[in-house]
Amino acid sequence: MQVLVYSLFSLALTWLVITVSNRRRLAVMLAVVMVLVLPGAQPAQAQGGIVGAIRGVLNVINGIIQTALNAIHTVRSAMTNLQQVVVWPQQLINQARAQARQLIRQHRRLMSNIFSIKLNSATLPAPQALETVIRDHKVGNFPALTARFTNNYGATPVATAANAGDRARSDMDDALALDNLKTLKASDQVTDIELQSADAIEDSSSQAAPGSAPLLTATATTSAIQAQAVAQKLLAAELRQEAARIAHRNMHRKENATNTIQLRGVLVNLLQHQ
Amino acid sequence: MKRLIAPFKTARIWVATHKLRTSFLALILVFTAPWPAKAQLVSPCCALLVAGLSSIQSALSKVVGGGLNQILDVDRAMQQFEQTVVWPQSLINQARGLVGPLQGNFNQIQSLMKIPVNSATLPVSQQLEQVLLSRDPSQIAQTTAAYTALYGPTPQATAASPQVLNMVDMTDATAQAAMKRAIEIDALADLELQAANQLNQSIQAAAPGSAPIIEAQADAWLIRANAYTQSATADLMRLRSVDLANASADIKMGAINTTNLRQALANLLQHQ
Repeated sequence: MQVLVYSLFSLALTWLVITVSNRRRLAVMLAVVMVLVLPGAQPAQAQGGIVGAIRGVLNVINGIIQTALNAIHTVRSAMTNLQQVVVWPQQLINQARAQARQLIRQHRRLMSNIFSIKLNSATLPAPQALETVIRDHKVGNFPALTARFTNNYGATPVATAANAGDRARSDMDDALALDNLKTLKASDQVTDIELQSADAIEDSSSQAAPGSAPLLTATATTSAIQAQAVAQKLLAAELRQEAARIAHRNMHRKENATNTIQLRGVLVNLLQHQ
Repeated sequence: MKRLIAPFKTARIWVATHKLRTSFLALILVFTAPWPAKAQLVSPCCALLVAGLSSIQSALSKVVGGGLNQILDVDRAMQQFEQTVVWPQSLINQARGLVGPLQGNFNQIQSLMKIPVNSATLPVSQQLEQVLLSRDPSQIAQTTAAYTALYGPTPQATAASPQVLNMVDMTDATAQAAMKRAIEIDALADLELQAANQLNQSIQAAAPGSAPIIEAQADAWLIRANAYTQSATADLMRLRSVDLANASADIKMGAINTTNLRQALANLLQHQ
């Protein structure tokens, strides 16, 4: 565009120079052209544009960008401060770890000693043997348990010694008692394992970081589910035992009713014969 | 060719005869010619441009570069803090590593809870014991038959007073319900052990960010397990309540029977 304008201007000027014959008029015209064209040349305008543009860029850098960067810096510094002072203060993290170690030192051995106190109280050989086997936390000696149980409480009467119902109910009572004693031996072992798990989780918590603690918490919770399931198993065993106990007593009530009817019949017969 | 050379000759003659005009024309055309590149390099605006660019460079270095460096320092401090204090990889691995040995404990507990404890020796008691220890809810329906085979049915209406019949029936019902609940609870406890096992395995592959989700799920299971425990405890309490009520009923019936007997004896003595 600039070249086109310049070409047209050159042609017009050349035409004027060639065609105008009056020297004075030509001189005036050229002077006018020089006055109009030369001071208004583009370089002056370009200088003003560059300065303005540079000033504008500097204004943007020193204004908007600097303000924005300062704001980002302020926010990020505040976030760091929040994380280090409020959310995860190193001092409190160390304090929590120290507390875990202190609790371990203060209570673990003490509790373990309390829990391992021997509770055996039988004085005679047979009960002592049974007591030992029911409290040994082992599951590989169930036959010994059965033998010592029978030694203490006797065997189910032989067929000629009692009626079938009584024998069956006696056998059921013994069976449920033995079932539960076996279950308790297994649950005693489970308790030992659970205590080991609790110790391991507690040891880890004394060295944990805020980021690793959720893994430990999740593990502890799953262990709690397991402990709850084992408690339910024990509760189920107790339900069976208690149910059998009242069922047995109820059986006596049924037998009493039958016996009363029979006795009434005998008495009526006796009175009729008199 | 001559035609082409002729205008040049004319022009040369004109230029020779009009030197002043030609000089002015040339001067004006030179001054007004657009020489942007050359003019800027040698013009004063070039110095302005250099100074301006230097200012921009300085501003970019100080304001933008300095600001970004400050932010980078803060970010590096945050990264360092998070990597060493909040989420240290070694401690995360250590926590994951704990799950492995605990998994062994889990498996051991599951095995212990599946050890057979059957002890009955006679057929009738064996049958009921097998149902009770089955951990199989589909066998709940067989409880009544096995129970009745061992403990007998409720006496016929003529065999006892209505009061005794009600007591007997209520006691049998409670005992059977407790036995059925025991089968349910055993089965539920097995499922809980399986779930705990699965959750524990998933912790081994968890990240600190996903562990709370697993924990939330585990918490939900724990709540559920507590609810089942409460339900079993409730049945146990029902059993003991019925037992206590039976003991009380025995005293009441004993009192009535004693009164009746006294009355009968008095009548008998009056007749003699």
